[in-house]
This record gives sequence, C-alpha cells and structure tokens, in this order.
Amino acid sequence: MMRTVEVIFVIVILLTAFVIATQFAVLPSPSQAYGTNLRELSQSTLETLDADGILSATVFEDKNDPAWGDLQKALSASLPPNIVYNLTVYDLSAIGGVISYQLNHSISDANLGANSDASSLLVTSPEVTFTQDPQKVGESTGQNITLYILNCEDANGWWITGYTGQSLATEFYNLLSPYFTNTMMVNSTADLGRLLNGTLLPDGVESVENSVVINTFGEAVPIPSFLVDDYSTDYSQYCHFLGQKVNTYNWTWVSIVGYPFYYVTNTLDFTGPSDQAWGIYGMKQVGPPGLNAFLEGLTDETVDGTNIMSPVNVVYLRSTALENCSYYGIYPRPYHTASRALYNETLLGDCGLVATELFDSPQDDPETGIDESYYIPAATYTNVESGFGHGALTTIGLTRTPDPRVAALALLMYYRPTVYRSEFEASGTSRLVTLQLSQQGGT
Amino acid sequence: MTGATIDHMISLTILIAALLVAMMTFNGLFATAVDYDRNRQVANKAVDLINTICLSPGNPADWGKTNDALLGFGLQDPDVGGYALSPYSLMRLNTVSDGNPLVYYGGTDTYYNNISTSYGYGILTPIGDCVNYTTAAELLGINGTYGFSFEITPTLDVSISQVSTEPLTLNVQVSGSGLPLSGATVTSHLFEIDTNDLSITWHPNVTLTDGSGSADIIFNDIDYANPVYSFTAYVSLGGLHGVGHHICNTISDDEFIVPLVEDFENGSLILTHIWEIENPGEPAAVFYNAAFFILTSNFNVQEYDLDCSGHLTFGEGFNYVPTQIPPSEVGLLIVSYKANNEVGSIIVPWGIGALGVSASYNSGLGSGDYDFVATELRQVTIDNISYQVKVSTWKLGS
Repeated sequence: MMRTVEVIFVIVILLTAFVIATQFAVLPSPSQAYGTNLRELSQSTLETLDADGILSATVFEDKNDPAWGDLQKALSASLPPNIVYNLTVYDLSAIGGVISYQLNHSISDANLGANSDASSLLVTSPEVTFTQDPQKVGESTGQNITLYILNCEDANGWWITGYTGQSLATEFYNLLSPYFTNTMMVNSTADLGRLLNGTLLPDGVESVENSVVINTFGEAVPIPSFLVDDYSTDYSQYCHFLGQKVNTYNWTWVSIVGYPFYYVTNTLDFTGPSDQAWGIYGMKQVGPPGLNAFLEGLTDETVDGTNIMSPVNVVYLRSTALENCSYYGIYPRPYHTASRALYNETLLGDCGLVATELFDSPQDDPETGIDESYYIPAATYTNVESGFGHGALTTIGLTRTPDPRVAALALLMYYRPTVYRSEFEASGTSRLVTLQLSQQGGT
Repeated sequence: MTGATIDHMISLTILIAALLVAMMTFNGLFATAVDYDRNRQVANKAVDLINTICLSPGNPADWGKTNDALLGFGLQDPDVGGYALSPYSLMRLNTVSDGNPLVYYGGTDTYYNNISTSYGYGILTPIGDCVNYTTAAELLGINGTYGFSFEITPTLDVSISQVSTEPLTLNVQVSGSGLPLSGATVTSHLFEIDTNDLSITWHPNVTLTDGSGSADIIFNDIDYANPVYSFTAYVSLGGLHGVGHHICNTISDDEFIVPLVEDFENGSLILTHIWEIENPGEPAAVFYNAAFFILTSNFNVQEYDLDCSGHLTFGEGFNYVPTQIPPSEVGLLIVSYKANNEVGSIIVPWGIGALGVSASYNSGLGSGDYDFVATELRQVTIDNISYQVKVSTWKLGS
C-alpha cells in the first residue's frame, strides 16, 4: 500500500514538473511565426504610393481636401481584403535642435487588433523647392553671352526621330535658359539670316558676339531663303560660310545629334520633287563635304578626306562627365551608341582644334578594319588662334533618338558655370507618415 | 508477501503509465517547437527572397536590357530604385510551364518563351536569352534547399468592353481588391486602323470614373460600323496606377501576325505569319503596318516611326520581316494587318508594365507536396503601373 502511495506521489511530482515546464515553453502565436511581414508590406505600400509624389502632395493638403478620399480609396484597393490599416501623419518641428512630432491627421478603415505592425516615411512638401541659382555663362569673365536656339518654323529635322526641331527647342530652352542672361528663339530661317548678319539681338544686347547657337534640327541645318540662290550649286559652301561666321563672332555652334551639316533645310524654298531626303521634304543632302567645309571656314585649314565619320558602337560617359551630371542635375544614360563619331586626327591634328570630350575613347573592334579608338563620339572643339578662342563646335555623334540632355551636358562641361544651392530645413516642410497594418482573421 | 507483490506490481504499472503519458505529452511539445523553428526558417527565407528579388537589380544591374549572362538575380529597376521593378528584366524570365509551353519558330530555328500565355498581347522572347528557374535558384543560393515561386500581378483590375458603335463607345471598369474605384483618372489611347491602307490613327482621351468605378468613353469621330482598333486605358488614383486594353477586329482569327524578340540589346524584332508557327492553313498573304508608340511618364504616347509595312506570305518557305524599336523606351508596338480582306491588329508591350502583363515564375512542380509554404507580399511599380509581388517559399527534402 505504501508503494502505491509513493507512486502516486511520484506521479504528482511528474505532473507538477510537466505543468511548470509547459508554462515556460510558451510558443509564439501562429500569426507571429508565419504571418505576412506587415512592416515590409506597409513600407512598400507607402513607397509605391509616393513613387510619383502623390502621397507627399496629399499629406500636405487640407483635411477636407478630396485628395484624402482618393488616398483612402487607393489604400483600400491596394491592400488585401483581410488587411486593415491606419495611416497617421505627424508634423515635424525643430526647436532648439530638438525634433518633435505632433499629430496632424489620421485615416483608417477599421480598429486594429493587438497584432499590428507599422512603418514610416518622411515626406517633403511639394510646395517647398530646393533652389539652385546657377551662375550665368560668361559672368565670371565679364561677357554677356546670349543663347540662340534654332526654332525655325520653315525647316525640317533629320536624325531627330520622335521629335521635331521645335519640340527640341522647347526642351533646350527648359534645360539651358537658367544658365544664360539672355535666351532667344530663332523662329524662322529669316530670323536666322538676321542672326548671321548680326542684327538679331535681344533687348539690351549690343552684339551677337560670343553667343551660343543650338541647331535643334539634327543633321540638317536651316538655310535662309536669301542664301539659297547663292549656294544652290554647292550647299557645302553655305556650311563654309557658317564656319566663317562662327569664327568671326566667336560663337559656339551646337549640333545636337548625328553627322553635322549633312543636309540643309528650308521648307519654303526646297519644294521640288527632288527636294527631299529619305522622304523628309524641304531637305537637300550635302553629305560629308558639309562638315569639312564648316571646319575649313572655322579654322581656315584644309580638311583632307571626304568622310571623317565612323560608327564606334557603345561608348561610356567619362568620369568627369558623370561628376558634371550630378553637379548640374542632368542625368542622361551613362552609355550610348555612337554611330557618328569623328576622326580625331582631322579635328585635333589637321584643324588644330582643342576638344572637351564627353565619352571615354571607344574600344577598338578588330573586325571592322578601322581603329575606333581614333574617333571621338562627342565633344566641344575650340578653335584657338594666338591663344584666344575664335569659335567652337559642339558635336554629339550619337544615334537617334536624340537625347537633349547629352548636348546640354556637353555645353555645361565646356562653360562650367557655378551652381549656388539653397539651404534646406526640415522644420515645417516635412511630415512623417506612418502606416500601421493589421491582419484580420486566421492565418 | 503476496499482498506486497501485488502492491508493487500495481504501483509499477501506474508509474510506467504515468511516465509514458508524460513522455508523449513532452514529445508533442518538442515536435511543435521543432516545426515552429523549421517553419520560421522558411518564413525568414521568404522575406530574404522577396527582398532580394524586389530590392536588388541583380548583376549586371542592367541585365534586362542586354543579352549578357546573369551573375546575380534581382528584378529592381536600377534607374528608379526602391520598390520599382525593371520592365526589361521581367521580359528575360523563362516562364515556361504546362499551361504556357514554348513556341518554336522554324524561320529562326529558335524556341520562344511567352510571358503572357497568349499571342498578340504578350512578349515572345528567345528562350536562350531567358533566365530559367534553376539558374535563378542557384544565383539566389537556394538550389536544392528551398523551393520558391513568384507571381507579379497588377494591383488594379481594368476591364474594357465595347458598348456600341456609331459613334464608338467603350466602357472602362476599374476595381482593386474587389472594390470599384470611383473618381479615378482614365487616360486612354485608341489606335484606329484604316481598313484600306492599314494606317494607324491615334485618338487620346482623358476622363474620370463614376461612383461605380465605370467610365464610358465616346469617340464621336469614329462614327461607322465595324471599326477596327486597339485600345489602352491607363487609370490613376491617389498614387495607384493600372492599365487595361481591348482589341476589336473584323477577323475572327485575331492573331495573324506574331512579333518575336530577336535581340534585347538593340530592340530588334521580327514579324512572322502565325501559320508558320501553328495551325497551318492554305497559302495566304497578310499585309501589315507596324508602329511603335513610346509611353511617357504621365501615360501619354509619342509615335516612333518604324517605317515597317509590307506583306508576308505563307506556304513559300519561312517568311518574316525584321524591325527595330528603341530598346530603352517603354512603349506599345501596334501591328495592323489585313488577310482575306479582313482587318485586325495586335498590340505588344515593350516593358511588361506598358500593358499590365502578369508574370508567373516557378519550377513547374508546384508546392503541393510540402507541408508548409510561406508567402510574402509587396507592393511595387513597373513602368509606373502598380503591381503586387507574391513570393511563395518552401523547404525541400525531409
């Protein structure tokens, strides 16, 4: 009998040990162990809703603004039906270096349970702009440099597929006008004629000298009507005339893409059945002699060879160009296909030009039979005479579709204007958005 | 003595029984803990995988735009960052499965992967340039240890139907998570096909959805019977974007022309006659005209001249025509065609977000034989279109 009693004691001790052990061996709930990672889901929801700045704009709106309703609908539509949310916005203020958060607004679609998770996103008001004031080109040297953008209504473009010269002119205006004291659109070939005669001047400007001229028509260059007859037997001589003008006025002529001066264009004068090139009307083909003649006009040197161009395939922005991308906030792709690179021996050797290059030297492809490393994809070439600049040519020998940012970058790399940036404070301009999620029902 | 023996036997039996009960109970407790730990590992691996897939562009970072071999797996768009996936990398995934078989074309002697399981609205890419499941698993470091699959689906459901003609009226219905989306901006593009010369005319429109998430779009200048067109509608509300499309042909077999990707890097494609791929019929010619429309960030389009028109024949050897689109521009390739005096069109996205294509990537074996499958969900954007990525993960072996 005693042994039975002893055994019962042992059993009681065993059960007690079991109960105590069970109390300590508590496993997390299944939802905690295997549930969807609500924090990451919340973070991805906030980031995607703010991908194009809509969330930032909404949280700075008045609480009664319809944008809040749109945000609620977007949250409900993007989250799975078994997930409920609470989105809260806090104002940030910094007093004496201490940042504090005050509740601004909150929206939710249900009461969150005990198991929830959240993430946050700091957003900046779209009303607050980070300003950067660029120094004007030429300001440091006391020059008053005007930017002329060819926007001729009576001209057609070539090698600018997907754009027109006029649409590109607008792009260049937006990109570059902040860097120039005066920017002027050249709206017709007649205006171009006045520019070439030195009489197309913005208010307050006395001379066209030292200006920058951007030809937005790609491989075609507009020709004024009064010059068509003069050069009708050989349009390359018009390009020679342009080269002389660039030298005389100390202009920087910018060819935004392709083979410069390959065509001349005027839709009012070139109206015959043969006045088209590959289906683009108002166009006369000049070919390689166009660029050669321009270089002769610019440098007064004889240019050997009829074709100084060769394709060199993919080229990469050099490190100085990438640094300038960040500095000026212009971000073209870091690599491009250069189908219109120019022979450096002709430009730097024969013509004596000095190049400010954008891309690293192309790699030689043994299968092509030419050495691609002798070709320059894109650069600004300065004509230096007696130590002074007498005109420059920017060529971007890339394939179409044109990227205006590349030409803008080339120009800014050449002139190097300083950019003065404003200070930025978080107080009153930033808000913290938290999105708390909870899963309803079982897992 | 006998009583003591009986007492001893009874007490011993009770003791053994008690021990057995205690051991079984503890055993169950330990088994639960082991299961928990193992499943927790799988859940953690699912988080690792979805973070790698969504937040890493892979190596090289621009592998989706090239034909280069892949050294590290990831789908993030390197040009955007964050939770944005590359529309091009997704096109290089091998999504072959039982329900989505390879397509063989004898003209190039190449097998093609179809990311969207249907001709005409998807992207057929050469299988040799696609990344298969085993390679992806090796690059993710889980080959033989964990199985995984992922699905990428648009967040918003945009369905389009033709209400009437004369004038042409289309209805766009928008919903998300089963809820109709009212007050959404609908930016739509109708590409009208001229049934005579196959030219493509673009008609843009912007409107809002009503309280039931529906919008009727009326094209007053398309006022005739049996119009032929391709139509896309981009929907935006509160930072959420979706897309839907609809095609109307006069021909019942609406897949006469099939575009095949020839080279990712330079954007070259070939257009082929469908009968050279499947269901050969009598010798027949099909006339075509192709145009590419670049999709801008605010869902407008800009035409890119392909200069690609002519005719393809069937029954006289393999016959295809090459064309080239700008490889780094997301957009829509629209090909109008005429066969047997019937006219149709197809619409193909370059970049899967342009048309809201879904993608599913798995081993083809499924996870049905495994006890525990962890799933993770993330919101992402592809070409500004809102998508959801769902990754499922399970432990292989015992």
